[in-house]
Amino acid sequence: MATATQPDIGKLGDELYKHWEKAMGSWWDQVLESPQFLGAMGKNLEHAAKARGQYERSVDDTMERMHLPTRSDVVRVAKIAAMLEERLLQQEDLVLGLKDQVVAMQKEAVQARIEAAEARIELRETLAALRQELGRLHVPAPTASAPTAATAPSATAAERAPRGKKAGA
Amino acid sequence: MMVAAIAEKVETLRWLAADPVATAETGRTPHRVVFRDHKACVRYFAPAVATRPPLFCVMPLINTWTVFDLAPGRSVVEALTAAGVPVYVLDWGRAGPEDADTPMAHYVDTVLGRCLDRAVRHAGVEKIDVLGYCVGGTFLAVHLARAGAGTEGSRCPVRRAFFLATPIDFHQSGRLARWARPESFPLDAIVDGFGNFPKELMQDSFRWLRPTGVAAKYKSVLDRGGDPEFRRLWAALERWNGDGVDFPGATYREYVRQCYFDNALVGGGWIMDGTPVTLAQATVPATTVAASDDHIVPTAAAHALRGVWGGPVTTRVLGGGHVGVCAGAKLPAAIVEWLDA
Repeated sequence: MATATQPDIGKLGDELYKHWEKAMGSWWDQVLESPQFLGAMGKNLEHAAKARGQYERSVDDTMERMHLPTRSDVVRVAKIAAMLEERLLQQEDLVLGLKDQVVAMQKEAVQARIEAAEARIELRETLAALRQELGRLHVPAPTASAPTAATAPSATAAERAPRGKKAGA
Repeated sequence: MMVAAIAEKVETLRWLAADPVATAETGRTPHRVVFRDHKACVRYFAPAVATRPPLFCVMPLINTWTVFDLAPGRSVVEALTAAGVPVYVLDWGRAGPEDADTPMAHYVDTVLGRCLDRAVRHAGVEKIDVLGYCVGGTFLAVHLARAGAGTEGSRCPVRRAFFLATPIDFHQSGRLARWARPESFPLDAIVDGFGNFPKELMQDSFRWLRPTGVAAKYKSVLDRGGDPEFRRLWAALERWNGDGVDFPGATYREYVRQCYFDNALVGGGWIMDGTPVTLAQATVPATTVAASDDHIVPTAAAHALRGVWGGPVTTRVLGGGHVGVCAGAKLPAAIVEWLDA
């Protein structure tokens, strides 16, 4: 809310902040990426890590001298617990894998039974068709007075003809 | 008007003085744990009615999973379940000193693979869509590559992958990449001395990536602190930020050496547990999403997946920073759009 005599303090603050951020940002950029800073930071981290390692070893030594469980002992026990848990999970993996195999085998078995049933149905249908054909071809036994006697032997001969051979072939 | 603005700022300062971060609660969306593997677990967020395929999310090992569930109305999992997506979240848990020797292969191959398997079984599907965020995305990419996801004969139950702010070309990771160089970063001494990489060091290094970030943070809260919604989100983000997790030592050693020192996901030559890590071995379709203002994983570092992945890759940029992207409404919308595609 700037007036002719009074500047907008909020805007002014924002501007100041932007300038400060830009200046600080570029200064920090130079510092944080300079080889001197990175080298010193690396050395500092290295020393801190070594000091931490030495401190933990000395605490372990002290605890051991007092015949108390050390941090390493606790870590060892936790590792054993984790290892046992991992073995249990491996067993669970195996059981689930076997379950998957059984399900797959059951699927295969059901599929095989379906296929066998389908084959039987097909066979039955073929048999029924053959019976029907046989019924059509079946001719009653010839009698002396029957007028069709002359044709009967030829039909029987056709029936006896070898399969796949056409008449006259 | 000016008096009112000053009064609001004073009130915001009072609110800050009352330490709202200590009482901020994250991870409040109802869910249950469906599987545990040592410290890791799979958290299941059930939708009222599942209308979309399930999603398995891999969170970063260095933070808690609650970045996906910051506050009501600002939660990725809440928005996804509301959209009918059954969500599974892999929470790595908190590494302790007993995990210092655990190699990266254990996390990438065994734990991730097992959690994925149990999520798939729980969801009752044959294949699942997966999402990885930040380091979680890198771990997921390595897992999918090692499992040959999408290739014929692979048993990896993954259909598609969504990588969010996931570094692939680590040499494009800005200041972090320039810091993590073998000549200036004493990796072995740190891991040998500390065991696990301490969360305090991790948080400090992230803080120093943007030295004026702390000032910017408090300026934003003074500027917008009058909005209760902003306050709630700010406190939740601060809570999450301060709740770091130690990086298991042996895993950290391999991760920094291979990814930051050698940039092996791009350049190759990474042998993990006797097997090479080659991202081209994964052929499932992938989408990689970068955040526009991400100073930890810049767009170039994330989108580099396109050059090394074995399957088709779609790239996208969402507005926001590395963490802020998880607090907005754009991310859940982008995930749902991807799930529907």
